Amino acid sequence: MVEFKKIDGRSNGYWLICGIFFALMIWGFYAWYLQLVYGHCVTGLSQRVPWGFGTAAICYTIGASAGSLIVSALSGVFGKTEFKFFSRSACVFALATIVAAMLSIMQDIGNPENALNVLMHYNPTSVFSWNSFLYSSYFVIGFVYLMAQFGEKYRITKALAVLAVAWAVLVHSGTGGIVGFVYSTDLYHSSLTIPMFIVSAIVSGLGLLIPIWLLTFKWTNRPLDRNLMWVLAKIMGALTILLLYCFAAEALDTAYIPGNAGAIHMALFDFRYPYAWDFWVIQVGGCLLTVLILLTPWGKTDWGMGIAGFIVAIAVYGERYSLITPGLGYPKDLVPGMIFRPFWIVPYYPSWVEYAEIIGLMSMACLVYCIGLKIFAILPERGEVEEE
Amino acid sequence: MTSRREFLVLLATSTAAIATGKAMQVTSTDVDLSKYEWAMVVQVDKCTECVNKLLEKKGIKFDELSLDKQNELLRNLRPPCVEACDLANNVPRMPDNPRFDCYMIRIIAAKATEDASWRFFPLMCQECEHPACVEVCPTKASYKRPDGIVVVDLHRCIGCRYCMVACPYNARTFTFKDPLEDLKKINPEVPIRKDGVPMKCEFCRWLIDMERCEGVKNPKPVCVQVCPYNALVFGNLKDPNSEVSKIVRTSKVIRLRGGLGTDPKVFYHNL
Ligand code: SF4
Ligand code: SF4
Repeated sequence: MVEFKKIDGRSNGYWLICGIFFALMIWGFYAWYLQLVYGHCVTGLSQRVPWGFGTAAICYTIGASAGSLIVSALSGVFGKTEFKFFSRSACVFALATIVAAMLSIMQDIGNPENALNVLMHYNPTSVFSWNSFLYSSYFVIGFVYLMAQFGEKYRITKALAVLAVAWAVLVHSGTGGIVGFVYSTDLYHSSLTIPMFIVSAIVSGLGLLIPIWLLTFKWTNRPLDRNLMWVLAKIMGALTILLLYCFAAEALDTAYIPGNAGAIHMALFDFRYPYAWDFWVIQVGGCLLTVLILLTPWGKTDWGMGIAGFIVAIAVYGERYSLITPGLGYPKDLVPGMIFRPFWIVPYYPSWVEYAEIIGLMSMACLVYCIGLKIFAILPERGEVEEE
Repeated sequence: MTSRREFLVLLATSTAAIATGKAMQVTSTDVDLSKYEWAMVVQVDKCTECVNKLLEKKGIKFDELSLDKQNELLRNLRPPCVEACDLANNVPRMPDNPRFDCYMIRIIAAKATEDASWRFFPLMCQECEHPACVEVCPTKASYKRPDGIVVVDLHRCIGCRYCMVACPYNARTFTFKDPLEDLKKINPEVPIRKDGVPMKCEFCRWLIDMERCEGVKNPKPVCVQVCPYNALVFGNLKDPNSEVSKIVRTSKVIRLRGGLGTDPKVFYHNL
């Protein structure tokens, strides 16, 4: 039986952390306020690249949420009872990040006052429409699942865990479909996008949760079984390798079409634009570094696992960015088979407003988690497997 | 600060916009729109002649320009069709700010091989039969009218820009800031957009609806009306005797990015 207990949350350190997250959240909301007042011209977007950091943030936060919920359900679905320690806190984090995701949609759209129209005028052919229902139902399912965990209702929790995992996969598949089903852009439209979204969701979920748990247990002076963390880190490492494999398969698949040559060259090899830097340094470089860290003996230490998690969480953000923006930055083939003008590549650099918005939302999710630790019993007293 | 004069202009135009909005509602339920299938033929020979004359007047040899200069020139080129469209449809142009510059018609230059000569033609919303923008719109704010015109309902749109990303022709632009700042003149017949919504060519539906209701037999968008070369032919594809039907039936016309299956209603003759 795992004993969950609230944290005291009265130390100066606790208030300092909450204060930092709160300040960052306010900074993010201030950036959003500027965007509401002046319009999207305060972002780095343009007519040719109308989706950017904000859209990547939507995909990222939904992914992190889906990944966290899947991790939370490890004990319920796969019978890995030793992971029950983490199920409540991962679920709270999943709920906090899905709220951040919904807010990031509100931040990204140009006409938020009409947002409810998404629910009122359902378009069955729009992947975005499917998602509006998936996201809201996902929140409800996640919430009920958390409540069932608090009630220690074993059977219901198990059933809800299965449902929650299925829903998390569905939700994130829908998010992948937003980009993956667009056929008008050379670098979009890939059947790999959806499975890749699921893998990167779990990777980013673990990438964020591992450092968060290491710090939470350390700062609350609760014992934590490092072997359990190491199992999670190994899952994260294995999935990161799978992700690297998917990147290679997708890039080769796209590059094999002669008509895509220009677009793929720009996205991968033209370092005059931000896209190739992002691909090689953040996305591929970040994933490789994570795997390398985990392969060294140092990777098994708290610092090693924590830093590897943090790096891969950023690498997945880079992946979301490079999934969305280079395809838009490269001109669409308006007159196929002909040389045409205007023909120019649009580089996209996010403005500080866009950075502030995503940092603000992620800080909000972390703040909710910190407050959750204080008001709900979501953290076990001991994160160690009892010897039989 | 808004001056008194600006305030009065705003008041007058918004009243007119509301009034015409109502008028448009009445007219569009008055008639059976499904009798029509509006289409356009762009006669590329004539457009090329028009643009070449414009360039000649300015002493510009397009072929000799660098890629950047060619891009810049085309971005700011205003043959009569573009000029009239911008004015009639309240398009906020920002020549100095290509990032946010809105357009409904662009001039494209194309050639088959390096040594061929450039052909010029306008590219606007292709009013697709199977529009990607309508398919993806999460609110049905983008929809296809029974007469085939693809419309954006600005009161329903959430500004997600999914339609812009999905459109294979980059036919849509987004109002990144308040369009009023960049409008030199306001056409009260056309609703004034706010910031945060997409815009596109709608075959001047405000005009053709009005003309149709007034009994005009062949209503025409403004670009068609002002073209000095009669390069643009507009009409009803469902009427076998319309000029547009005849050209489409009897000559070699192509549709851009035909392989995608969007089936545009804009046909290019002699491209
Ligand atoms: S050209 Fe683009 S905006 Fe116009 S109907 Fe087709 S997909 Fe929609
Ligand atoms: S921007 Fe508006 S019209 Fe375009 S897809 Fe979104 S809701 Fe529909």
